Amino acid sequence: MTLSAAERARYQRHLSLKEIGAAGQEKLRAARVLIVGAGGLGSPAALYLAAAGCGTLGLVDFDRVDISNLQRQVLFDTAALGQLKAEAGRERLAALNPEIRVVAHALELKATGVLALLAGYDLVVDGSDRLSTRYLVNDACVILGRPLVSAAIHRFEGQLTTYVPGRGPCYRCLFPQAADGMVANCAEAGVLGVLPGVLGTLQATEAIKLITGVGTPLVGRLLTYDALELRFHEFRVERRRDCAVCGEAPTITAPRDPPAPAAAAADGVRRLSARALSALLETGAHAPPLIDVREPWEFATGHLPDAVNIPLGELPERLAEVPRTGGAVFICRSGGRSMRACTLALAAGVAAPANLEGGMLAWAADVDPTQPVA
Amino acid sequence: MSCTVRIASPLHSYTAGAARIEGRGNTLAEVLGDLERRFPGIRFRMIDEQDRIRPHMRLFVNSEEARDLAAPVRGGDTVHVICALSGG
Repeated sequence: MTLSAAERARYQRHLSLKEIGAAGQEKLRAARVLIVGAGGLGSPAALYLAAAGCGTLGLVDFDRVDISNLQRQVLFDTAALGQLKAEAGRERLAALNPEIRVVAHALELKATGVLALLAGYDLVVDGSDRLSTRYLVNDACVILGRPLVSAAIHRFEGQLTTYVPGRGPCYRCLFPQAADGMVANCAEAGVLGVLPGVLGTLQATEAIKLITGVGTPLVGRLLTYDALELRFHEFRVERRRDCAVCGEAPTITAPRDPPAPAAAAADGVRRLSARALSALLETGAHAPPLIDVREPWEFATGHLPDAVNIPLGELPERLAEVPRTGGAVFICRSGGRSMRACTLALAAGVAAPANLEGGMLAWAADVDPTQPVA
Repeated sequence: MSCTVRIASPLHSYTAGAARIEGRGNTLAEVLGDLERRFPGIRFRMIDEQDRIRPHMRLFVNSEEARDLAAPVRGGDTVHVICALSGG
């Protein structure tokens, strides 16, 4: 179907590019792109893809807009606070370009349903904030043969790669295995607000190139960006023949969820509620050692008295600082990192480590509402 | 031999915030040994007990990936330490 007069007017600057023209614009209109994570990366990617006339845009995010998001998540404004990101994003994109269709998926991606969801799209842009989601999306894309444009950020640094099944490596070829909690995310480590703006627009660029068939995509290449030095570096990344999902003898043939923190915990890790820990601490002489595994700045914002700060990333080589007896209690913001710390401590011979379930957020909710939590 | 080592952001806590440091050695193993002497604990974040590069880390000499610690490093090379990032 040819472009309407309204579309010709809207996309005039694209039509002037001989590399895109009417044929490219029609390809964009026919394209269905799924954006996983309507956050720092997903915001600019979604805005530019909507503006470019990408015909169907899906937004996956189960979260709601928080005031701390607005420093970088330009898809939202202050009036959207508290709204579901997928819904608020859909309204913003529809206002930007009523010619396109935007689908809000206000859900958490899980192994069950991920294939059915992705099957309705031609290309996936990953800007999620969890490694487990990144692996889930990668595996689903490999299985379905969908191109994936993936970026990630940390403080002042970003990474970008385009994965096209059959034409280059996948995310697991680059990083065969990684676990959430071992690498700090934006909430824990901080991020320069404009950083995802750079990486997210590069993702949109790659998506448009793949859809229109213009240029050379970033396949088999890892691009890194250092905002402080304003430097890009490029690295060659090859497909691994032993890759668990796209290799010659794949062991992952269906999407799978990461083990739940509770299930991942080895036998011997105790689970402690905030109220139970409060009662234990009141015993004074028998109070357990407290190990807070959050980043130093989170610890500085507020922590339990007598807690020792050993960030999770440093724990493997600082395990000697954890008392072997006394039932050390591991603490983080919401209980995920501390559960990994418990598992590490248990393996290192710490007797009966305990995890503060729900972390400092649970402590603030159930024990001490005045407790500041970063 | 003197080389430049660019350190992934999640490991800056070991290098007093420095993203770029000078390293010495003729192989990746020697360069990482040099780093470990000056920034204790940093090697363990990249390399496991069996001397394998951890699966969430990638090491490159200039733009080429180093799959093991025997990779040669020449004067003026840049060793890049890349870490899987989760932020979005």
